[in-house]
Amino acid sequence: MEKTDFQKALKVFDIIALGAVLLGLLVILYLVRGLLTPFIVAFVIAFFLNPIIDYMEGGGINRTLAIVVLILLSVLVLLIALKLTSPMIEAEIAGLKDNAPVYNHRIQEGLTRGIDFLDKNVGFLPRGMLEKALQEKIKGFASGMGGIDLVINIVRELLASLIIIPVVVFFLLKDGRKIKKMLIEYVPNKYFETSLVLFHKIDQQVSNYIRGQLIDNLIVGLLAIISLYLLNVNYSFLIGAVLGVVNLIPFVGPLMGLAFGSLLILVDTGSTVDLIKFIGVCVGVRALDDVVIWPLALSKSVHIHPLMVIILIILGGFLHGILGMLLAVPLYCSIKVTFQILYRGLIEYGNW
Amino acid sequence: MTEKSLLNLVVQKIRGGEGEILPILRTIPIFEGLTFTDLKKIELIVHKRTFMPDEIIFHERQPGAGIYIIKKGLVELAKTVNKERVKISELKDGEFFGEMSLLDEYPRSAEAKAVEKTETLGIFRPDLFDLIEHNPKLGYKILLRLSKRLASRLRETTEKKLKETE
Repeated sequence: MEKTDFQKALKVFDIIALGAVLLGLLVILYLVRGLLTPFIVAFVIAFFLNPIIDYMEGGGINRTLAIVVLILLSVLVLLIALKLTSPMIEAEIAGLKDNAPVYNHRIQEGLTRGIDFLDKNVGFLPRGMLEKALQEKIKGFASGMGGIDLVINIVRELLASLIIIPVVVFFLLKDGRKIKKMLIEYVPNKYFETSLVLFHKIDQQVSNYIRGQLIDNLIVGLLAIISLYLLNVNYSFLIGAVLGVVNLIPFVGPLMGLAFGSLLILVDTGSTVDLIKFIGVCVGVRALDDVVIWPLALSKSVHIHPLMVIILIILGGFLHGILGMLLAVPLYCSIKVTFQILYRGLIEYGNW
Repeated sequence: MTEKSLLNLVVQKIRGGEGEILPILRTIPIFEGLTFTDLKKIELIVHKRTFMPDEIIFHERQPGAGIYIIKKGLVELAKTVNKERVKISELKDGEFFGEMSLLDEYPRSAEAKAVEKTETLGIFRPDLFDLIEHNPKLGYKILLRLSKRLASRLRETTEKKLKETE
């Protein structure tokens, strides 16, 4: 059947309307971004716990009961872990805050020495150019030390959300399917089947990825903390935790962790032995991660060529910094699945 | 009021009523004989879709995604033969179509179009597979019924072919 101009115009209008709705949603999300942290955390926790709940439900346990038991158990484990580790964390944060001016001074000193060396030895550079450029960077770094306060604030905010997070997690786990169903109900008939299949595949890929990554990071972080603690390296908890978190970013993350840890050790004790211990731990954990943890945790996840991952990370970082690096791979997976399904619908079957 | 009837009343209150979807689901062969609790779980994955007169429900050769049960209305199934649209059948209230798509995404063998305003209940493969995974006992019951239906279809086709060759 030939499409009339009116039908074509209607289709264009549909697309514009859909775009406007999506844009509106993004604007709303941007406006309430300050309130989003506990919800994002709750979403991630729900993604993580969902398979356990599904497994318990499959075993015949009532879903609501399974959720309540699992949340209570998780909170209990978290509280015990916090109780056991809080003196260590507090001591590390206090030490970092107290020593921040000293570290800042040492970094400045080190950089100034470096500049002098370069100025004397690299003749073709105009004198003072490097000094000027690096002084600007130092200023940036000095203000970056205020980032510690930011981290402390985020942790405090999350602790304050200790009530909100379990409640949101509970409802996401209990009514997650209903919420998904409610969302898909709004899709017009014409696109319904395709959207349903698409929604499901994206959900599957992204949740597998997030779950796999979280397990991987948790193990990497714990291994790093325990090894550094046993090797008597200062700030073992902080460095290990950072190694675990930055591990979220493929390839670049571990290098960032290595750089952070090395810098902290150098400005703290400056001990070569500690630095060697730290590099040893990084290499060991990395090898274990590549050979054992990653294949096990992400075996069901997406398969992307490593080169593609590197390109995505660079692109993500260029567009949106650290957050862009974190979201690059899951976003790519969603787009890839969308194109695969739309291609089948449009080209192979021509039903759109 | 006896103790038993009081207990029944409490149980019924807790588990909720039959509603409008459960009685329809009971009439579908692949859900035949399932318990109230099982059907309640299936109800959670049912999508209500309403189609306007002449609206296409799905196209021929489109990858199949699930089964449609007609709650109210009239649906026409048609195939394109030599570029001509040939009507195969018309389905009315309580009848269903597309159940084979619950197993794989093999292209739809015919086009389904609403003749009049039609309310349908749709159950789709991704949701059903999820349900089966989380409720293996229920999954076994559904898959057994679906297999029986497939076997009977295969038998019918074989008999038809045999008669044709005789």
